[in-house]
Amino acid sequence: MEALYSLPFTVLEVPNLKLRKPGWVKQPSAMFMFSMVLLSYFLVTGGIIYDVIVEPPSIGSTTDEKGNSKPVAFMPYRVNGQYIMEGLASSFLFTMGGLGFVILDQVNKTMPRLNRILLLCMGFAAILISFFMCRVFMRMKLP
Amino acid sequence: MADAGTKAEIRSNMWKPGGWQSLLTFVILTLAWLVGFSSRLFAVIRFESIIHEFDPWFNYRSTHYMVENGFYNFLNWFDDRAWYPLGRIVGGTVYPGLMVTSGTIHWVLHALHIPVHIRDICVFLAPIFSGLTALACYFFTKEIWSPGAGLFAACFIAIVPGYISRSVAGSYDNEGIAIFALMFTYYLWIKAVKTGSMNWAIFTALSYFYMVSAWGGYVFIINLIPLHVFVLLLMGRYSQRIFIAYTTFFIVGLILSMQIPFVGFQPIKTSEHMASAGVFALLIAYAVIKYVQSFLTKAEFKYFFLCAVAGSAAIIFCAVVGLTWAGYIHPWSGRFYSLYDTGYAKIHIPIIASVSEHQPTTWVSFFFDLHILVCAFPAGVWYCVKQINDERVFVILYAIFASYFAGVMVRLMLTLTPIVCVLASIAFSRTFEIYLKDDAPKSQSKVEEEEPPDSKNDRLYDKVGKTKKTKEERPKDQDTLGMNIKTIVVIALLMMLMLFAVHCTWVTSSAYSSPSIVLASYNHDGSRTILDDFREAYFWLRQNTDDKARVMSWWDYGYQIAGMGNKTTLVDNNTWNNSHIALVGKAMSSNETEAYKIMRMLDVDYVLVIFGGVIGYSGDDINKFLWMVRIAEGEHPKDIKESDYFTPQGEFRVDSGGSQTLLNCLMYKLSYYRFGELQLDFRSPPGFDRTRGVEIGNKNFDLTHLEEAYTSEHWLVRIYRVKDLDNRVKVTDPVIPKPKRKKPSKKTSRKKMGSIKNKPKIIKGKKPSKTGRK
Repeated sequence: MEALYSLPFTVLEVPNLKLRKPGWVKQPSAMFMFSMVLLSYFLVTGGIIYDVIVEPPSIGSTTDEKGNSKPVAFMPYRVNGQYIMEGLASSFLFTMGGLGFVILDQVNKTMPRLNRILLLCMGFAAILISFFMCRVFMRMKLP
Repeated sequence: MADAGTKAEIRSNMWKPGGWQSLLTFVILTLAWLVGFSSRLFAVIRFESIIHEFDPWFNYRSTHYMVENGFYNFLNWFDDRAWYPLGRIVGGTVYPGLMVTSGTIHWVLHALHIPVHIRDICVFLAPIFSGLTALACYFFTKEIWSPGAGLFAACFIAIVPGYISRSVAGSYDNEGIAIFALMFTYYLWIKAVKTGSMNWAIFTALSYFYMVSAWGGYVFIINLIPLHVFVLLLMGRYSQRIFIAYTTFFIVGLILSMQIPFVGFQPIKTSEHMASAGVFALLIAYAVIKYVQSFLTKAEFKYFFLCAVAGSAAIIFCAVVGLTWAGYIHPWSGRFYSLYDTGYAKIHIPIIASVSEHQPTTWVSFFFDLHILVCAFPAGVWYCVKQINDERVFVILYAIFASYFAGVMVRLMLTLTPIVCVLASIAFSRTFEIYLKDDAPKSQSKVEEEEPPDSKNDRLYDKVGKTKKTKEERPKDQDTLGMNIKTIVVIALLMMLMLFAVHCTWVTSSAYSSPSIVLASYNHDGSRTILDDFREAYFWLRQNTDDKARVMSWWDYGYQIAGMGNKTTLVDNNTWNNSHIALVGKAMSSNETEAYKIMRMLDVDYVLVIFGGVIGYSGDDINKFLWMVRIAEGEHPKDIKESDYFTPQGEFRVDSGGSQTLLNCLMYKLSYYRFGELQLDFRSPPGFDRTRGVEIGNKNFDLTHLEEAYTSEHWLVRIYRVKDLDNRVKVTDPVIPKPKRKKPSKKTSRKKMGSIKNKPKIIKGKKPSKTGRK
């Protein structure tokens, strides 16, 4: 058996090699994972897959009655069509709303009063703004 | 949802263990069920108790068949009225769970002498199951987080549009019951992982069996659960409980899933299921290693471990590759493959890409279907990540994969919806917990007398004289927020939830509640006109054509023609045979003479087209026409070329500027036959197509091989009869040919139903010869 093992090494020289698990391979931290999830969520809800498959322009344009072309940010009256920028803008709002909830939770940590108030206002504003902006955006899209 | 909000308040106020809590839980769940049920009834109230759309018609037809003829006849049913001349083995190509479920309900009701027609059961099945889904969501969330969050989840799932879209009354489809089965399986799986008991694992497998019998989406379960186990192993969270739960589930689930005729041997043959088997092997290997580790020294173990890992990886890899190469394992089917390589379907399988619900999702669909929940969803993930345990790993994995799949296909929004409800409910319940708890006297009753020294700030802020009642949530904190701010936050959140409920109802009533076989249009004064053209035409087909008549139409209408018209169709929504569909597409897109040849070949008696130009109905055949061309081109690239149907500028137009190929193809002619004589109003020229908004290009033409048989009231459905071959012209100067000694072919007439070559002659009282039998 031993002879069989050593058979290839009669012609091969064993390299002096040390394999070590590289230092950066370790279980990622929870918050890192969360940010990855959040990033992918941001991309997916922005319709990035739609953008890849359908390849719409980043911003549309129309011509008004005088013949000038105007940029249009939103593809109006179409639920299953979008421009790249509008998708990213609204998925940014979604993510902001989510972060608003997280901030609202963070408010309950120990901190000075002013910070707390500011943080609360920030989180609260994030939720409200994202929610109402999304509603406005959706109004523009719906026929 | 307001219920759930008040519920939390009441609970904190009058906390009594037992009584109140279970009463409230019961009441809220019942209300959620009721609300979910009644908000799905818009279509029934506005129109009538009717089956919607396309696929439900097939499900209804087969349920009807099953109720009439019994379960075993249903399993053996060969449907010769579909896919003429091929036919379809229905029992072996259908997920029977839906039919069996409604058949069972029908049977139970009739055993109790409650005579309900099977149609009504089919119509109301999905709304009833939505209540069960709400229950399943409640239990799932209760296991993951807390009962309060569970109540939120139940209320959300009951009314969220993403789920309502597939489960309104009348949309009698697999998804309606499958989402319940999905969530219930996941609940039982979580329970099994938590307890590590074989009992729960067996229940999981049983529920999985129901899911397999109900919907092709069971593949999602059989990939997600192994993935959960795999990730738990990677995270070093292996335990006896997981081992018991997974091995039991895998073995029993595998055997059970193979009992469904349609699934058959797929679970051990196709790549979609290989992950579960791989994880099973891995788990066993891991357990063995753990066991060996207990009596080996460290150095020995290291050596053993490396050998085992390398060896088993090599063996598994070789086995999978070898079996795939040898043809025992099928590679990914196109539908699943297109989930990973998103461009695949667009290039290779136009028939998958042509279905509108297989399109990729835009951001509006996310917000339209989930509304506020889409914002709360990341927060729910955050809470789960922060306080991770075995079950929450599962939730996070589910969230990641479901959101990715929902991005690829609009219809998979359905699988994303439950988990969004669960995570959003966690986020809301956490937030409410924080912001409502402050006035709870129960926990900090001792600090009531001695106020913390720094509550001055509170008093400064809280001008209302409520400071005495304000309790510190955590006395160690430097200070907390005042009551008012908290109340404002809570009220604002409640308002949002109210807007969510309003939005859900609005979406349900406006977007998801049209039966699509009965159209309604509203006049300026708000009165309603019902356009019942589809049923009118199908009824005409049923009454006025021969029982064996074959109707050619585009595949979208196959199930409806079979279900309502009771006629034989060539292609239908079960798109299993691409070349057959391509043949029909080719007939539709070639000119009349060419099409006639194909129609003679396929024995077509009638051709049915949907034409929306008169009333401005956008889902008609001309708008779908490019897909017919594309699918035909895929199979017959020599005869059909997509570019021929465009103008040189690359536009698809039916007016005089359109390409000549388009203006002379069969579909164009059938849609616009005699349309040029019709002037709809005085402002527009005759032959003005309202859907496309143009005057058609080719107005005066006649049909040679077809004749108009029926056109419905608003021209929505047009049916043409295929003329028989012309009679031969009588020969005036007959030249009698010499009789040849050639054997005449038996199939002289094409109208014959077909004959078998070397048909054995049967003489009474004699055994057929052996060669004859072959």
